[in-house]
Amino acid sequence: MAENVVQLEDISRVYEMGEEPLYALKKLTLSIEDGDYVAIMGTSGSGKSTLMNLIGCLDRATEGRYLLNQKDVFDLTDDELAEIRNSTIGFVFQQFNLLSSMTAIENVMLPLVYAGVDKEQRTLRAQFVLQQVGLDQRIYHRPNQLSGGQQQRVSIARAIVNKPRILLADEPTGALDSHTATEILELFDDLVEQGITVILVTHDGEVANRASRIVRMRDGQITSDSRIRSKKNA
Amino acid sequence: MGFRALVVIAWQGILSNKLRSSLTVLGIVIGIASVITLMGIGEGAKKEAEKQVQSLGVNLIYVRPGAASNASISQGQGTAPTLTYEDAKAVKETCPSVDEVAAQYQSSYQVQHGEYNTSTTVLGTEPAYPEVRNFHPVNGRFFNADDMKDCARVCAIGDTVKEDLFPDESAVGKQILIRGELFDVIGVMEKKGANQMTDMDDQIFIPITTGYSTLFGLNTVTGQAVKMVLARAKDGQDLQAQFQITNLLRLRHGIKSPDQDDFQIRTQMDIMQTAQSITGVFSLLLGATAGISLLVGGIGIMNIMLVSVSERTREIGIRKAIGAKFKDILWQFVLEAIILSLTGGLLGIALGMLGSDWIGRFANWTCIVTPFSIFLAFAVSLAIGLFFGIYPARKAALLDPIVALRTE
Ligand SMILES: Nc1ncnc2c1ncn2[C@@H]1O[C@H](COP(=O)(O)OP(=O)(O)OP(=O)(O)O)[C@@H](O)[C@H]1O
Ligand SMILES: [Mg+2]
Repeated sequence: MAENVVQLEDISRVYEMGEEPLYALKKLTLSIEDGDYVAIMGTSGSGKSTLMNLIGCLDRATEGRYLLNQKDVFDLTDDELAEIRNSTIGFVFQQFNLLSSMTAIENVMLPLVYAGVDKEQRTLRAQFVLQQVGLDQRIYHRPNQLSGGQQQRVSIARAIVNKPRILLADEPTGALDSHTATEILELFDDLVEQGITVILVTHDGEVANRASRIVRMRDGQITSDSRIRSKKNA
Repeated sequence: MGFRALVVIAWQGILSNKLRSSLTVLGIVIGIASVITLMGIGEGAKKEAEKQVQSLGVNLIYVRPGAASNASISQGQGTAPTLTYEDAKAVKETCPSVDEVAAQYQSSYQVQHGEYNTSTTVLGTEPAYPEVRNFHPVNGRFFNADDMKDCARVCAIGDTVKEDLFPDESAVGKQILIRGELFDVIGVMEKKGANQMTDMDDQIFIPITTGYSTLFGLNTVTGQAVKMVLARAKDGQDLQAQFQITNLLRLRHGIKSPDQDDFQIRTQMDIMQTAQSITGVFSLLLGATAGISLLVGGIGIMNIMLVSVSERTREIGIRKAIGAKFKDILWQFVLEAIILSLTGGLLGIALGMLGSDWIGRFANWTCIVTPFSIFLAFAVSLAIGLFFGIYPARKAALLDPIVALRTE
């Protein structure tokens, strides 16, 4: 049996708003195996993004234990969490979140800049992943000169440039038409094939059906958890 | 993460809003340029004052009548003068460290030559005067010891007086009337300009003995008053000379130990120090004025950095999400502020030097830019970037990545 890359035990995330505390996540327990492809579904406000932020070490749980790669992240400093985000995790957002003042390739190189990789290596690595996501032209264009699909390819390239173990995608196809969405999802299939653990939030059942496992949420809790196919590279 | 990479990131931030960055830099340019120029003006004033004091003659000691404490002394009739021509002679004869002495007494009179007339200062003095003052005739000669002995009615005239009385002819060998008394003009003095006390060119010089017997009307029973005794000390003996003169005069005037002097004695050094402290205050005021404009420039930087941080909140969130640490973000913004202020500083130094050069050339005012003021301007602009940049940068670096990412 493969080890768990993500192991959440009785995780709560509470927002203190007014008189009553708001539980965005309530005593949630979830384990995800290395190399798995998981889709998270649920109504708006059910806590999907909150969960993704916690898994991605952008946020800290109010209660509970989180083991990432078997290691408790509770005591880590902000800078140590930043290092984990840089080396272990890749983010893909619905709104792409590229830096508008930089070219596509500069955006892709940015995580390597923070990792301290030298310029020559950065360029080689960025060119490689851009090719991998199918964008070998227009890499010296700025985001506002690219289509939505092209921008999402750039942001996927940025997410995988530092060889993460986990790719977190919060509604990655939400801003794309169905044809482009399919192309992006095919890229995810490739990444899973390469052994990267992919966790994806979606509202779209068809999108979710491409994954191996579907987790449904409501009110900060998991309501159903089903494996629809065996892990791809088990 | 390497320093080079941080500089590149900061630089990209600056380029992303060129107009705004340029305007911010302009604020610093103006501040630094005014520091450089105003400090240059202050420095120039100091040098100018030193030059003037020096041009009065070196190693000079000035002795004036009257106690140091009461500035205005009454010289009413019947009061014996406290400093006399006899005192001056005694100083010359008995003080070993004194080289030359020129007593002087002056008063204003109407003078006339033909149809021309003017009112000017007539200065009775001794033959050593040109030497002591470093102020010589360009035409003819100054009066000598014989003229003194004979109470000769001769005079040397200053450049302004020459222009007033002899506009189109040479003066030497002609005669002028001073308060109705006839004098031979034997010399015309070089042009010296004004020092902070008198216009050296608007004077007529006569033997002091002649002055006492014809013009000044001072009776000889109580002694012949002088308004100043100029003494020149031998090289390097200023202090000894000052000491000898003080002792001699106290002895001659019968002043006992606890009592105050009835004369004032000042050296060239004292005057130089006074001039320096005045110009020092002047420089400080100029510096403070420039400092205020720098402060305004610095606040401008802080303002722009704060705007920049809040505008780029989302960018900061993205950078943090992909692994930027606290220091990475902090340095990004601090370096941005420092690059802005240093650019402003360097341009300001260049502009300030150019401005000083122009002031020197067109306003005819010595304006000296010292290496120290350049160094100071550079250091200050660096400090401004750091000081005014650190608060906005900290604000940026402390942002919560999730909050930042959610910002539109
Ligand atoms: N910073 C915050 N302060 C207060 N409440 C918050 C904050 N962030 C999220 N919440 C609340 O937590 C709950 C879960 O939010 P979350 O963004 O995780 O939902 P979601 O499942 O991603 O919804 P959607 O599908 O609309 O993106 C919501 O009720 C939301 O209002
Ligand atoms: Mg969400």
